[in-house]
Amino acid sequence: MVLLRSFIPSLGMLLLAAGQAGAQGVLIDKSEIRFESKQMGVNVEGRFRKWKANVVFLPNDLPKSKVEFDIDLASIDLASEDSEKEVQGRVWFDTARFPVGRFTSTSIKNLGGDKYNIAGQLSLKGITKDVVVPIALKKDATGNSLAEGNFTVKRLDYKIGEGLWADTDTVANEVIVRVRMVLPPIT
Amino acid sequence: MRQPTVGEERERYDGIAIALHWLIAAIVVAGFTLGVSMVDLPLSPRKLQWYAWHKWIGITVFLLSCARLVWRWQRPAPPPAAMPEWQRRAARVTHLLLYTLLIVIPLSGWLYSSATGVQVVYLGLIPLPDAVPKDKALATVLRMVHVTLNFTLLALVCVHAAAALKHHFVDRDNVLVRMLPKGFPKPKGSTG
Repeated sequence: MVLLRSFIPSLGMLLLAAGQAGAQGVLIDKSEIRFESKQMGVNVEGRFRKWKANVVFLPNDLPKSKVEFDIDLASIDLASEDSEKEVQGRVWFDTARFPVGRFTSTSIKNLGGDKYNIAGQLSLKGITKDVVVPIALKKDATGNSLAEGNFTVKRLDYKIGEGLWADTDTVANEVIVRVRMVLPPIT
Repeated sequence: MRQPTVGEERERYDGIAIALHWLIAAIVVAGFTLGVSMVDLPLSPRKLQWYAWHKWIGITVFLLSCARLVWRWQRPAPPPAAMPEWQRRAARVTHLLLYTLLIVIPLSGWLYSSATGVQVVYLGLIPLPDAVPKDKALATVLRMVHVTLNFTLLALVCVHAAAALKHHFVDRDNVLVRMLPKGFPKPKGSTG
């Protein structure tokens, strides 16, 4: 499966970079998509091991900027293999039928002070909803940009954890998604 | 500190000690039963609940046992009934081990949970710090320790209960009755 390949900036994106002088890949090894939820009042963390991103972030030309993520949902990393298997199942992500979670930005708003709101659509399990991801941008010593932000997803909006698992006293409805992206300098 | 005034009182445990003894006994049984039942459940909301309840029970046992020890230190147990020296010594050792396990088993559970990377949050409200960082190998060892200590406790509780019943029905002394609420009749033909 193409998605299972670890991310390498594709030739297309490199061409795009050359053409627009501003396209970026994401330094995937330094970036992460984590999430946090509560089970019986206990914080439970996880992350996705495999995903790819197409990020063109032009602070001076936001309309031409674009943020896209494809997340391999079966690559979920949880505390135990049992839980990982469980959440791939039909009542959770149903990764057999819906292997990919996708975020596509629709507009990016500059809030000033290196803060941005990325509005977009998040698709999981065949359901698409509007979300806004607030991010803060900063430069690190090596000239890379670090974009960090988190937003809350209500799992039941996407029918994730149906049936017995729909009980939010056991597993909370709110899932905080934490995104940390390291972007190479604009060339 | 109130001292018992009547001779009868000095032979008995006081009300708080009796209440703590039976409360701890009841929730230890509940916690143990949950513990052995929950591990084989398929992953389900019930399993998550039972694990959480098991841990909450463990912390409660720890807290109540600390209270029990403090209380016992404040109001020493009534003097032992008449019995052979070896039995008195055996009872002493058993009680010492029971108290130790009631304190150590919850701690081992907390360590084990921490090692598996699952924080313990008492009653879903009060988060405990992680006792150790997540460590799979350590978790395997701690699980074994936790289980072994629990079955040791089970064996000791059986010995403890059997001894109490033997005192009541065979020796016909007041050893069991003094740990029961007032009003329970002493064994027939007892002298104590």
